[in-house]
Amino acid sequence: MACVSAVALPARGFPQPQHANPKEELLTLPGEIGRPGGRLVVALRSEPKTLNPLTAADTPSREVIAAMQADLIHINRATQLTEPALAKSWKISPDGLRYTLTLRQGLRFSDGHPLDADDVLFTFRVYLDENVHATQRDLLIVGGKPITVRKVDAQTLLFQFAKPYGVEERLFDGLAILPRHLLEKPYEEGKLGQLWSLSTPPNEWAGLGPFRLKEYVPGQKLVLERNPYYWKTDTQGHRLPYLDELDFIFVPSADAQVLRFQSGETDIITGLGAENFSVLSRQQRGFTMADAGPGLEYNFLFFNLNDPGEKSSPEMTRKQKWFRDVKFRQAVSAAIDREAIVRLVYQGRGAALWGPVTPGDRRWVDAAIPHPPRSLERARALLKQAGFSWSTAPNGASKLVDSDGNPVEFSILTSSSNADRTKMATLIQNDLQQLGMHVQVVPLEFRSLVDRVTNTKQYDACVLGLASFDADPNPDLNVWLSSGGTHLWNPSQSHPATPWEAEIDRLMEQQLSTPGYGQRKKLYDRVQEILAENQPMIFLASPDILVGAKNTLANIHPAVLEPYLLWNVEQLFFRNAAGGASQ
Amino acid sequence: MRYLLRRAMHTVFLLFGVSILTFLFSALTPGNYFDEMRLNSQISPETVAALRAQYQLDRPLPVRYIHWLNSVAHGDLGFSFAYNSPVGPLLWVRARNTLLLTATATLLAWLLALPLGVWSAARLGRAPDRVLSWTTAALLVIPDLILALGLLILAVRTGWFPTGGLVSVGYETLSPLQKLRDLALHMALPVFALVLSALPMLVRHVRASVAEVLDAPFLRAALAHGIPRRKLLYGYALRAAANPLISLFGFSVGALLSGSFLVEVIMSWPGLGPLLLEAILARDLYVVIGGVLLSMIFLVSGNLFADLLLYWADPRIRTAASAK
Amino acid sequence: MTQRRKITKWLVVLVVLHCIIAGAGFFAPYDPAEQDRDRPYLPPMHIHLIDAQGHLHFRPFFYPLRLRAGSFDQYEENKAQSASLHFFTSGSSYHLLGVVPSHLHLFGAPAARIYPLGTDAYGRDQLSRILYGGQVSLLAGLLGAGVTLLLGALIGMAAGYYGGWRDDALMRAAELFLALPWLYLLFALRAFLPLAVSPLEAFLLVVVVIGLVGWARPARLVRSVVLSVKERDFVRAARGFGASDVYLLRRHILPETSSVLLTQAAMLVPQFVLAEMTLSFLGLGVPEPMSSWGNLLASLQQYSVLVSYWWMYLPALAIIPFFLGYLGLASALQERPGAYKIDEKTSWNPS
Repeated sequence: MACVSAVALPARGFPQPQHANPKEELLTLPGEIGRPGGRLVVALRSEPKTLNPLTAADTPSREVIAAMQADLIHINRATQLTEPALAKSWKISPDGLRYTLTLRQGLRFSDGHPLDADDVLFTFRVYLDENVHATQRDLLIVGGKPITVRKVDAQTLLFQFAKPYGVEERLFDGLAILPRHLLEKPYEEGKLGQLWSLSTPPNEWAGLGPFRLKEYVPGQKLVLERNPYYWKTDTQGHRLPYLDELDFIFVPSADAQVLRFQSGETDIITGLGAENFSVLSRQQRGFTMADAGPGLEYNFLFFNLNDPGEKSSPEMTRKQKWFRDVKFRQAVSAAIDREAIVRLVYQGRGAALWGPVTPGDRRWVDAAIPHPPRSLERARALLKQAGFSWSTAPNGASKLVDSDGNPVEFSILTSSSNADRTKMATLIQNDLQQLGMHVQVVPLEFRSLVDRVTNTKQYDACVLGLASFDADPNPDLNVWLSSGGTHLWNPSQSHPATPWEAEIDRLMEQQLSTPGYGQRKKLYDRVQEILAENQPMIFLASPDILVGAKNTLANIHPAVLEPYLLWNVEQLFFRNAAGGASQ
Repeated sequence: MRYLLRRAMHTVFLLFGVSILTFLFSALTPGNYFDEMRLNSQISPETVAALRAQYQLDRPLPVRYIHWLNSVAHGDLGFSFAYNSPVGPLLWVRARNTLLLTATATLLAWLLALPLGVWSAARLGRAPDRVLSWTTAALLVIPDLILALGLLILAVRTGWFPTGGLVSVGYETLSPLQKLRDLALHMALPVFALVLSALPMLVRHVRASVAEVLDAPFLRAALAHGIPRRKLLYGYALRAAANPLISLFGFSVGALLSGSFLVEVIMSWPGLGPLLLEAILARDLYVVIGGVLLSMIFLVSGNLFADLLLYWADPRIRTAASAK
Repeated sequence: MTQRRKITKWLVVLVVLHCIIAGAGFFAPYDPAEQDRDRPYLPPMHIHLIDAQGHLHFRPFFYPLRLRAGSFDQYEENKAQSASLHFFTSGSSYHLLGVVPSHLHLFGAPAARIYPLGTDAYGRDQLSRILYGGQVSLLAGLLGAGVTLLLGALIGMAAGYYGGWRDDALMRAAELFLALPWLYLLFALRAFLPLAVSPLEAFLLVVVVIGLVGWARPARLVRSVVLSVKERDFVRAARGFGASDVYLLRRHILPETSSVLLTQAAMLVPQFVLAEMTLSFLGLGVPEPMSSWGNLLASLQQYSVLVSYWWMYLPALAIIPFFLGYLGLASALQERPGAYKIDEKTSWNPS
């Protein structure tokens, strides 16, 4: 397979940094030994907004930054457990309030400048500074108070928490360590948030990740090159990464990405829908497709359970009377054909859900949650118990009416840009029609949808999905806490509206400050049970993580946590000599 | 001169009106770019609100409009939230891509329509004319939505043409000749779709105007003088029939930025159309206004251009105007 | 007169086509919203007259399709069973023209399901959806054209008749409207929608918006006619006799505009049907489970559908006979002697 690259890649061995420091404490990774060289081309859905970890909130930016930055403690995406990264070891005090981290010695940033504890200190000062508005700040507020960081010596740092934190060291994953020598001055001048846009000159940027910034061509691609000072090696002592270059090209639509992958212009593809996956699987020429199993995304239907007070229209009051009845929600859940959703929306590549924890989150799945099969009889029985009855409409169909004689009609919002969820809503519409409910599917532009759900609260029901980015209950804390902003069915409550929500609040707060997985699991299991009993969200299905990669690319281990294929980008290599994209 | 001034004032008035209306609509619709961030459980509502304020989305409408007008006067079209870059460069790149497509298509369409129309008019009523009439009628009957979709299916099933995008990956590494070929391959389908949708109407108009003129006495006199047939048709008849065609050409120029919207969206050509669609959906206020203004400028300039061309080309209009 | 015969010919074609669509309930074998979840994306089924043994059957028949084992989108014919096609059978109930309840369908198969044009993602019959979808799209086009022409006629007459500053103002407004991007107007309006909007309300909204956007061109045409007619002798005479403005407009001027309006109608209806199709294609038209020709094509925006399921393109062909009919009628109307010639560019130009 000839490489049609006009750029001649020099035949050389592993590159060595200019001044090798024998006192470098490098991390050795197990795994297949690779060969150096090659250019990996990856498609991004849109251009990243920024390379600045402080302000990056969109997925493309985060994906690129993940390949350029490093954290103190990292979650291994394959095992879903933490492992040492820039910190070679850590100790947690018995009361869970003090974390002592020991930094590796002798490491350097991508521009050769040495890394020390002052950089870590500076990094956390910036993250916690209110004026910077860093997106990470909210993660570092435990027990209502921001954490404090202290330097014990040149190698050791002490993190102090106001209350014990359930996630423990997982907190540090993704918190990139920033270069003090480049950013301290702009920080003091208050210009930090504007730095490190895509067009930053490479010499003004530095990071600790496997790749460093090389070039940005607006509208076309972002090129990263190997970081010669990267602090990981393979078991034979070769400094990682194997790849010479990592190219991100911007391909706006999922379908266009499929085309590029098929024609060999890109080397990997992730974020595939089931239908595109089938198309690619049918003709695997030069590439292999893989189904990594259920991911962490959970899709659900929820009803508007907000308390509108006097502002409520009579129509809304009427509908909420149905929505608030737990038997009504249970009936809807019983009538939904989850198997059909998995079959028709995900082509079988997915899992039906009865709770928020998907089978992909092995450590937190509660096996005791009941998985009742679809049953229209059970649904009808529940509705009868709740006081509903059926009447015959003029055209012969049966209509569900409530105890006051009002026909049950409501609308389900979905995001117009998400075809999968709109399909789910259409299937649900058909299911509920068999119960006599008249449901309309209203696809709305995503931002209007979010506005209605979280702001104006003008909606009946909605189908949405959330994807935790870590296999841990904590990232979704704001979903389960009644005061949370993403507590979708009734967000940002001043105090819990129902006893079971109050119970969930208590349990979640408790697991937040409970160290130890066993205890936390018991608490979170109970949360899942309460959710299953009360069905504020009717869980539907979770898609599998579907990926594909060229056959020449080695060390590919798909994970169900983001970034699905690039989590071990430093260990990826091309089997043939020159590697790279071929036409 | 007075005529020009009047038309210029007119254009400015239109631009103001459209910008105000567009600004109003975009600002009044619910939801803004930061709503997506709200759904991210990691980011607290306070952070989102702080970022919103930073982008000045909390100020009242008239204030924002005045700010925007002020910056436009300085050549700055505002800032795009979604692309995190100034609107101007974003628009130029996309507009350039659109113009590449539509200019090629318009040129091709006219280059084909003129000879076809003249040829058809010269053989009015006879077999070749009727065949052409039927073909254009058949093409007219197929809307460009259907046409573009059909061509896309063709591309996908045969694999002869790339299905979307401006150029392939690795374009910069190609030689100039290869670059041209790559670009041409990517342009082929959209241009084909645009030409096919514009050609029938153009041919009909050319044919109709030339056919009207062909009966005129001056033409018969020229024929009697022994002027060769081709010179007669193109040099004399076409020029006499030029008026409505010039207006039509003006319209073609006016539609250069806006006429290819559907084709661009369907065939994933990175032009102004998909950008505007995305910006509308993303409530990216300034991109929408900038894009709409740009299309409108072209539209109105096209009309102005047509009027000017007519003024210059047709002595009857000149004398009529100066007689006033 | 050949002119009249031509017009009649096209009218007959159009009436027949519209009757087929109006009688969608009869011509369609199934309810368009009925999902067959075991058979998503089924390719069009073959109808046979000669079976595998070479015998000729009097009644056409077909083999039911089932999913190939272990696959999600590969089907095979179950040659063991055969189901026959019956004509004028009884099937699902529907209301003809929304009024008359009936069970009668042109064809159907009591033993199995027949999908002559295949199914969509939910297993719904494409043929039925095309026929019912035509009702939505055509009605949107007709109503939209009606709104536009009504509005355009009123404004054009007012501008042309009264003249002066009113004329100037209205024509400026017309230019503004011609320059506005209609697509964007629709987006904004759609977002303003009250949430509990039924499919009917969504449909009416689409009609009204399309209609409101297009009044400028007919208004200008009507205005030119009014300008030229207003100074004609018979109008002046009537005015001299003391006729009021309204009487003049209604009794004398309006009939003169009729030919313009009719020709415009014949040209606008297909354009508005196309506008509805474009909106539905982009997801802004009628909602699920209602079908319109536009949203039947919307699935083609996905690459996987484009590559794998070619029969999803068939709804695109449905509009062609209608376009043909309307454009034929329009050109036949334009050939009438004395008909006002329209030589502005008339192709739809969304901007």
